[in-house]
Amino acid sequence: MENEKATPPYLEVNGLVKWFGADRAVDNISFGVERGKFLTLLGPSGCGKTTTLMSIAGLHGIDGGDIRVGDVTYTSFSKKLFLPPEKRDIGMVFQSYAIWPHMTVAQNVAYPLEIRKIDRAEIDSRVADVLRLVGLGDMADKLATQLSGGQQQRAALARAIVSRPRLLLFDEPLSNLDLKLREQMRVELKRIQNEVGITSVYVTHDQSEALVMSDEIIVMSKGRIEQKGGPHEIYAHPVNRYVSNFIGVANLLEGHVIRVTSPGHGEFEVNHGNERVILPCCLGEGLKEGAAAVLSVRPENVEARRKDPGTPRLEGEVLEAIFLGNCVDCRVRWGAFEWKVLAHPRDRLRPGERVFLHLDPDHSLAVQP
Amino acid sequence: MRTEAAAVTLAGAPRSIGRWRSLFTQESIATIAVSLIVAAAVLLPLATLVVSSFRVLDDLGFSTTWGLDNYRLLFTDHVIPGAFVNTLLISTGSMVLATVLGVSLAWINARTNCPWREKLEPFNLIPFFLSPFVGAIAWHNLAAPKTGLINALARNTLGIEGHLLNVDNIYGVIWVTGIFFTPLVYLFVVGSLRRMDPSLEDSARTTGAGLLRTTLTVTLPLVAPGILSGAIIVFVTSAGEFGVPFKLGAPYGVETLTTQIFTKAVGDDANYYLGASMSMALGAITAFFIFVQQRYIAPRSFTTVTGKGFRPNVVDLGRWKWLALGLNLAFILVAVVLPIFCLVVVSLHPVWEGEIILSDITFRNYVKTLAFWRTDSISAATNGIFNSFILSFAGASIAMVLSLVVSYMIHRTKGFGSRMLDLLCVIPIGFPGIVLAMGVLVTYIKTPIYATLWILLLGYITRFFPYGQRNISSVMLAISEELDQSSRMAGASWITTLRRITIPLLKPGIFAGWLLLFIIFLRELSISIILYTSGTETLSVGVYYLANFENESLTSALSVAQTVVLLACIVIFRRMAGREALTA
Repeated sequence: MENEKATPPYLEVNGLVKWFGADRAVDNISFGVERGKFLTLLGPSGCGKTTTLMSIAGLHGIDGGDIRVGDVTYTSFSKKLFLPPEKRDIGMVFQSYAIWPHMTVAQNVAYPLEIRKIDRAEIDSRVADVLRLVGLGDMADKLATQLSGGQQQRAALARAIVSRPRLLLFDEPLSNLDLKLREQMRVELKRIQNEVGITSVYVTHDQSEALVMSDEIIVMSKGRIEQKGGPHEIYAHPVNRYVSNFIGVANLLEGHVIRVTSPGHGEFEVNHGNERVILPCCLGEGLKEGAAAVLSVRPENVEARRKDPGTPRLEGEVLEAIFLGNCVDCRVRWGAFEWKVLAHPRDRLRPGERVFLHLDPDHSLAVQP
Repeated sequence: MRTEAAAVTLAGAPRSIGRWRSLFTQESIATIAVSLIVAAAVLLPLATLVVSSFRVLDDLGFSTTWGLDNYRLLFTDHVIPGAFVNTLLISTGSMVLATVLGVSLAWINARTNCPWREKLEPFNLIPFFLSPFVGAIAWHNLAAPKTGLINALARNTLGIEGHLLNVDNIYGVIWVTGIFFTPLVYLFVVGSLRRMDPSLEDSARTTGAGLLRTTLTVTLPLVAPGILSGAIIVFVTSAGEFGVPFKLGAPYGVETLTTQIFTKAVGDDANYYLGASMSMALGAITAFFIFVQQRYIAPRSFTTVTGKGFRPNVVDLGRWKWLALGLNLAFILVAVVLPIFCLVVVSLHPVWEGEIILSDITFRNYVKTLAFWRTDSISAATNGIFNSFILSFAGASIAMVLSLVVSYMIHRTKGFGSRMLDLLCVIPIGFPGIVLAMGVLVTYIKTPIYATLWILLLGYITRFFPYGQRNISSVMLAISEELDQSSRMAGASWITTLRRITIPLLKPGIFAGWLLLFIIFLRELSISIILYTSGTETLSVGVYYLANFENESLTSALSVAQTVVLLACIVIFRRMAGREALTA
């Protein structure tokens, strides 16, 4: 958030506020997106991500802030400006796809061009091009109701990009597809976005979608931004417990920082019964000596060994070991705490076994609680 | 700070935009205009009615003063208290009859293996579309003590003295009202019986409950809100019914509130103010029951309807299925076949005296009532045909445009305005046509629209547009708002979106609603009878005129003509709208 650049971003949302009744759905958030980039708003339902998207789209008014794209102001609360949605030149893909059932695929896709009064010949060629791009070249004359979910998805995307809009908005477009198709579509969606190069804002609650597709991710909670950053940064360096928990699976241990050994590194003491366990770790932003913190360790960064490593000594009992093919998903009981551990199948861990947990200090991160 | 900002948005998005530059968008202009029109149309007559009921006419009948005399008369008059009791008796009786018949038929058709049930269902619903007034005329000709066809046949073949059946009394009123309103209950119940998730019953069966126990402890409670809703609607509709008690009750001393309101609204000793206080009394009863139904009962009936198409469990009745078939056929016989047959027979005789005389058969009655180009035709009848078609066509079209915008506002905009509109759309349903018509009468009697078709049009639309609105709303609820939004995002304005996306998607609902209103308007009596004047008769008023001033044969001829048109509409309706489009 802090690394403001000299040139203003292409899409800029500044101080956005939106009330729903007595609830602050969006609470004074600001962010920018560079031209051609893919930004994801990530968070659980009710975090304000869809409200933010709808505010950009102009599908409802706002109660504070400004939204600008390029040199066009979409909404400005202070200047009492509100550009109606149809004047914003945005392509949008909805959760339900919203493919009009009384039209064919080609008619659906041609609609934005007809509204823009482009002549027929050009409409036809552009519709054909874009349908080919999304892989629906041979479906042009099908009715929307004859399409499968994935095909409707593609048609909705085609309709959104056919007019080469300033901005593409996605409102959880993949959430109605089954898992296999979802994984395939997110790669494809990203490929098409790359190809057309339209700046995109994508809303989802699915963290893996966000990690795969985005140039940048904004993690939201209760109408506020928790963290903004690249997928790798968000995953490897979550700023707090919330982000760490939301992005991927993590073991979260409460305790406090007892020593800063070098910038960004230190030792963390776990509050764990009477035992005093001190673990070397990386330190998240703003953590000083003595600060209360949460240690976040991903399951893939915990190793379960049978040999006693000495200190730090984390001895536990395997509760369950679920074989997943390429790895074994284990729960290890350590006092009142249950570790999530991804072990290698060749280790052949069995329930009831005593094991010692080894944490890699470079992948153990103390963050703000 | 917090409360202030909350207050700003409490009115919802349109309002917060409204303070901005886009105050005059197509959307806001259209919706504000329509809201004002609807509010004026619905509230003005009711407000005027309330005010009028406190105006007391002096003995000379010229000037009025404020007072409660009109309400005092409701208790002290020598006719009105009895009419009040009769109204309650008739409504209760019709409700019981219609509920027993409606639930039985719905269960037989939806959940048993009764033979031919799919083929018989459309016939079960026919009375819904026909005029109960015409039904009363038909049953009068079937079972009047002297001239009734059934009684005459009984005298000739069985050698009975006097009569076998008599419908010219309160039981006759209950009988005809009950059988004609049976489809109302049927429609309320059959949907939830059909769409009930069979696993709800199956899981009861797997716990060891028998068929009877499952029916009583699972099926019936799930359908109960539908049954109760249907029963209340029948009670309220019966209380507001004018034609049946006018034909079978009033001439034989069984006055009801509606027949009394009519007497006070038209005729030589007209006293609108007393009519207004009676309308208030009737309206208070009906509005109370509709309030209870809408607020407490209707919301519950949704819990059984999941929207998914299920194949419901079918009960094997064994030999009893023939009894079920018998009941089904008997209902169709008394509610459809006998009345229509009798009307046709009577209409072919110059004078009806209870006996079929083949040598007398003539089409003269049809010529006199339908042949508008001939000088010897009866103008009240021929005017009625023209006026009714004009009113039905214009009324249904205007009401559907209104319904479309109103539904759009209710479902696509959020906030205070849409909740107000939603309420405004329920209010007309709470008041019988005759009550609303009294309100319209006292409101507009001194304006130029009185004694024109416009006042009838206004009355029709105000009372019945909620039916059209419900048809559109049910379709609108089923289609995602995102379909509209994506059109806006594609660059289309509100009006273009309405024209190219919303209306085409709503077409089935719009058409079903239009046709339903067309049918209702074509047979409308209780509003027309209050608001018509010479020259603005409607089809049903024509029938009333013939029944009152001419003879049964001429009355039957016009009734048959009306029935034929209505039957034709039913055929179209079923083709276009599907079989459950009527469910309110």
